[in-house]
Amino acid sequence: MLIEQKEVLKLLRKYNLVYPKTLIFSESKLESIKLKFPVALKVDSSQIIHKSDFGVVHIGIKDLFELNRHLKTLSTLMKMHNITKYSFIVQEMVKGQELIIGMNRDEVFDTVIVFGLGGVFTEIIKDVSMRVAPLTKKDCYDMIDEIKGKKIFEGYRNIKPIKKERLVEVLMNLSKLAMNEKHIKEIDFNPVMFNEKHITVVDARMIK
Amino acid sequence: MLEQFFNPNSVAVIGASRNPSSAGQGVVKSLLKGGVFKSKTNKPFKGKIYPINPKADSILGIKCYKNLLDIKGKIDLAVIVVPAKIVPFVLRDCAKKGVKGVIIISAGFGEIGEAGKELEIEVLRIAKKANIRIIGPNCLGLMRPSNSLNASFGPCMPHSGKVAFFSQSGALIDSVIDWSLEVNYGFSTVVSIGNKADIGLGDLLKWAKEDKKTKSIAIYLEGLTDGKRFMRIAKEVSKYKPIVALKAGRSKTGMKAVSSHTGSLAGSYEIYKAAFKQSGVHIADNVDELFEKAEALASQPPCKNNIAIITNGGGAGVLCADHCEKLGINLAELSFETLDKLDNSGRMHYAYSRRNPLDLVGDALHDRYDIAIDTLLQQKNIHGLIVIQTLQTMTQPILDAKAVLKARKKYPNKPIVTSYMGGKFSRDAVELLENNHVPDFNVPYKAATAMYALIQRYRWLNR
Repeated sequence: MLIEQKEVLKLLRKYNLVYPKTLIFSESKLESIKLKFPVALKVDSSQIIHKSDFGVVHIGIKDLFELNRHLKTLSTLMKMHNITKYSFIVQEMVKGQELIIGMNRDEVFDTVIVFGLGGVFTEIIKDVSMRVAPLTKKDCYDMIDEIKGKKIFEGYRNIKPIKKERLVEVLMNLSKLAMNEKHIKEIDFNPVMFNEKHITVVDARMIK
Repeated sequence: MLEQFFNPNSVAVIGASRNPSSAGQGVVKSLLKGGVFKSKTNKPFKGKIYPINPKADSILGIKCYKNLLDIKGKIDLAVIVVPAKIVPFVLRDCAKKGVKGVIIISAGFGEIGEAGKELEIEVLRIAKKANIRIIGPNCLGLMRPSNSLNASFGPCMPHSGKVAFFSQSGALIDSVIDWSLEVNYGFSTVVSIGNKADIGLGDLLKWAKEDKKTKSIAIYLEGLTDGKRFMRIAKEVSKYKPIVALKAGRSKTGMKAVSSHTGSLAGSYEIYKAAFKQSGVHIADNVDELFEKAEALASQPPCKNNIAIITNGGGAGVLCADHCEKLGINLAELSFETLDKLDNSGRMHYAYSRRNPLDLVGDALHDRYDIAIDTLLQQKNIHGLIVIQTLQTMTQPILDAKAVLKARKKYPNKPIVTSYMGGKFSRDAVELLENNHVPDFNVPYKAATAMYALIQRYRWLNR
């Protein structure tokens, strides 16, 4: 079962995993908002598994007027599909390069952590590495070094380099989460955005 | 630990048969002669052999017993070849007799479904109560050439060697042994683990870690039940002895459909590979690689990632360099000092390459190989060599091989693998190399792959 976003964010906080400034609410109209535009708007509902397949992720929303327009559209969409239990999530947009990081339970090896470059290319080229948790720091470095496109972490054209230690930290935190929170069966951070300053879990899905 | 299996003084074969084409006679013959097929590697078991069959007085000329309990002496190891349903009964006899090691060759247990599973559990219960350890059921048995022990119905005894081979497939063992005789490949032991109801890979790895004959471990694996336990043990064992694994098939468990992206990326073989890497287990892509890597790791020291290639054929050297680059093997730059020494040796061809790969030119005789090998190994940051020989009409395969062996003795910490490209006219030299534990491969990419295993080994030990 899909875990509610409120709970997901709580877990991210608990394990020092950074996510964008977020607002969760159920009203279909907002008077004001404390987030910086542009923002992304998503719907959180256990009745929806793949948000982007369902047309319920709207990104690059520039102002409150536009946000309210999208909220109205989404409310109608929910009604049309008979989805009754849901909330809206508004998040500040984060710039950077996409990563995908996840966790899975395997019957033979128990907990497996997956790391890779994000976006559609992950699915096409499958540029991912994996290790059995709990991870050691060395495991994390090995995972990063196994990525074919690992050069991207050293910076490329206008992409600024990122310290590997920072990525290692995120992987270690996820490993801790996975080892401690045994009720969670599956985790999907997709995308995780990285830039020279931050590594941010933009979308986190957890299944219990 | 498990000594009753590998070093028994007496072996009983329960279900010994008068029928020459049965496994029940195969096992007796293997013990008595060393193998079913004729081979110069066969050696008769030196301890006592007790065939058990209620209907026969003698089998293959030795006395046959009606029941295990009729035997007066102590039995260290029993090999059971009776139909599955009878196994619990004879196992109870083993318990009464105080047998501590049992190999159950019989099939018809966990592998056939529910009914078989129940039988397997019953067998395990009887064994546990009597402190009996079990290999199998549904296996081929085991071989221990150094002790002249062939407690299996495999074709014959393999050569004695440094590689322990544990296989989840019995049939594969048959063919591997047949192949190994052709190429003089040796084993410290070969164990068919079958359903691994009791003794599994973990136990065997722990045993191999302590076994003095075993220098490296080759595993053929279809699936694990407790992946974490395997990783824990493999991580510990691989500190002392290298392990190479060939994994076949994909476990049903890892194939479950998952809705998330990461889930669909986590194919079960990928997880196995990850687990192997994390526990210092070398991955083999195919049967060749399994044994080639295991042999290189058993006979050569680990290698820091900076090596040189010596060749008498430019093309072969370039091919090898290509394979090295693909694998991530660094080719060291030859130092000025090294080049000076080579230039001043008076033995180099005027057109020799003066760089790595070091091409000695086609007319190289053994003295040129000798000087080149020694000079390159003197260079501090060259940690290992791939020596390639193409067969020219003036080439001296045996003398070249002797130069390699001399260098192995002089520089014991610097590994050498060779690629004598060819066949018929190189055979004697290849045998000389192999008999002296220098792994040789008839194509350069295999030599590079073997060298890569030594580099990975160094990395693992210094991680």
